[in-house]
Amino acid sequence: MSSIIAEGYNAFETEKAPTGVVKYLETPSDVLALIRSGTLKDHILLVRGGTTTFLAPVLSMGATGILTMSGAPESHLGILSREFQTPCLMTIGLTDSDSRYEAGNPDDAHFDAIVQRLDGKRVRLDCEDDSVGRVYLAEHGA
Amino acid sequence: MTTASKTATYKLRYESDDDGLRFQDLTYEGNFVGLEPVPDGILGDKMMRRRAKTGVLDRVSKDEVLREQFTLDELNDLNNYLAWNIWDVLVMRATEGVSGMIPRQEYEILAFMHEFYRWPEILRMTTDEAGPQGVMDIGATARREIGTKVNCVHDWCIGAAGFGMGRCGLLALEAIQPDDYVEESNDILKFMQRVLWGKRQDGYILNSQDRYRCRVHEQEILDQLLGELEDFEPDEPKHDAFTRFNAAATLLAFLDHFDSRLGLGDTGPYLLPDGRMLIVRDLFTNEEEFHWSDVCDHEDVPHCYTAAVVIDAGAMGLAEIRVNDISTSFTRPKNYVPYITGGAVFVREKWNTPMGEVRPVALDELGAELEKLQQATLKLYGKLARMPRRELITNGHWVYFIDMILPHLRLAGTYEKACRDYDLWEIDQRVSNYYYEITKRKFAHEVVPTKIFSGKGYLPFSEKADLRRSKYRWL
Repeated sequence: MSSIIAEGYNAFETEKAPTGVVKYLETPSDVLALIRSGTLKDHILLVRGGTTTFLAPVLSMGATGILTMSGAPESHLGILSREFQTPCLMTIGLTDSDSRYEAGNPDDAHFDAIVQRLDGKRVRLDCEDDSVGRVYLAEHGA
Repeated sequence: MTTASKTATYKLRYESDDDGLRFQDLTYEGNFVGLEPVPDGILGDKMMRRRAKTGVLDRVSKDEVLREQFTLDELNDLNNYLAWNIWDVLVMRATEGVSGMIPRQEYEILAFMHEFYRWPEILRMTTDEAGPQGVMDIGATARREIGTKVNCVHDWCIGAAGFGMGRCGLLALEAIQPDDYVEESNDILKFMQRVLWGKRQDGYILNSQDRYRCRVHEQEILDQLLGELEDFEPDEPKHDAFTRFNAAATLLAFLDHFDSRLGLGDTGPYLLPDGRMLIVRDLFTNEEEFHWSDVCDHEDVPHCYTAAVVIDAGAMGLAEIRVNDISTSFTRPKNYVPYITGGAVFVREKWNTPMGEVRPVALDELGAELEKLQQATLKLYGKLARMPRRELITNGHWVYFIDMILPHLRLAGTYEKACRDYDLWEIDQRVSNYYYEITKRKFAHEVVPTKIFSGKGYLPFSEKADLRRSKYRWL
């Protein structure tokens, strides 16, 4: 059995259900280091913003899946993930917490809690619904 | 591929009594406090136009567009409608938060305010040089060209960014009062109206007034594009090659324009005789005025790729498509990519390459173009990652301040004059000083988004406002 750990806006509907270990990317250096490591495809990428530029190289090289802590399908990253057909859940919130992102009200504690909970965890993304996407804790090897 | 309903209902959206779908749950109030909240989409357009005091938001005649200026009521109608339209296209995008790389909220508000101060003089000079009809003719060129930045987003930005959000930011900063710069507001909005009317030529100026359609290309141009069309099935290699190319070019176009929509220009939807629909997508991958585009030069990336994107709306079960006023297409269902069943790609090497020299690229040859795009993207990313914050804000500021009116000045032949005699590539001292203000009291990150995206910051001109008024005192 696997359980839903987070939910967010689904950037686009797809039957793809990528699985990978969540990797939080905080700076452009983190992005470049991930590319150099050769392990890009092993990871579901977790980022704070919903803009495009920060993730540009990994989008170009074929990211497996993306989780953002702000933004919407109308954001640039939402548009690009659709064009690249890279599953992407946006403005995710933890299912066992009431804390939700509010535009214009950045709360570091909200972001920190999501990073602490997801970074390094093996997850599976469910992106079939037309509006809500779900993050499942995946069983080892799933 | 999704297994959602496959009954296409999008044509219902074009029936006069249809109110369209809702793409979001939020509603808009703006300056209409106490009245029924306004939703997004076709219904929102209807409600906002019903609340107008004048006919400026209906189909207007060429003579009205050529008239020297708007009345005060017309200015207020345009202000209210643009405020809703900005909310309609940007409120969800505005949730995207920090970039992690480019301080976009900072450069955006600085550029908007700069535009409101500086553009009126330059647009007035351009109108003097080209004449009112000449400004309309600039808009009309978009009907006969692909790979032109005289497009929805640039034309819309003249009024929505330079007037709407620029004035909104300055009011929020308390740098101006609602009845300041009335004459300058008229100059900006008249320029916008003339360009957009000349482009559409159906009496409207915005796509939202026409159920989110922007079918401006003349049939001769469409026939040329369709003459190069290659059809494919979704599981064929050509589908993969075309969609990967489209995504990579879109990515570089955003990046070269500092994570902004100025790199992308959709028109359509054009309904094809076989029942499919065409979107014409310009992707501006190398703007020569930006010094950071040198990496695009090094990879031999052209000024613009144009992708003719053909979608099987029936197979998709399309319920609504919006080509919005910032040149971006959104659909319901959202994922149209698996239903792309035809495509063609064209290259315009420079902004002024004649249409007769625009060349097609066969889909089998897109691999080489994709490689160039990926290399330029990687190099540009490395370049941006090394830029200090101040430089990123300055460069983003240039992208907005210059590029939003660059295509119009180029065609009017006034760009060099604006640079030489009007110091276009300078930052006004007032705006330079605002650089230090916008990070205080959360102005850029909280105050501005709240004012711009709630619609509460677009204060109307009062009944006492004078159409001749500029700003005469700073007290």
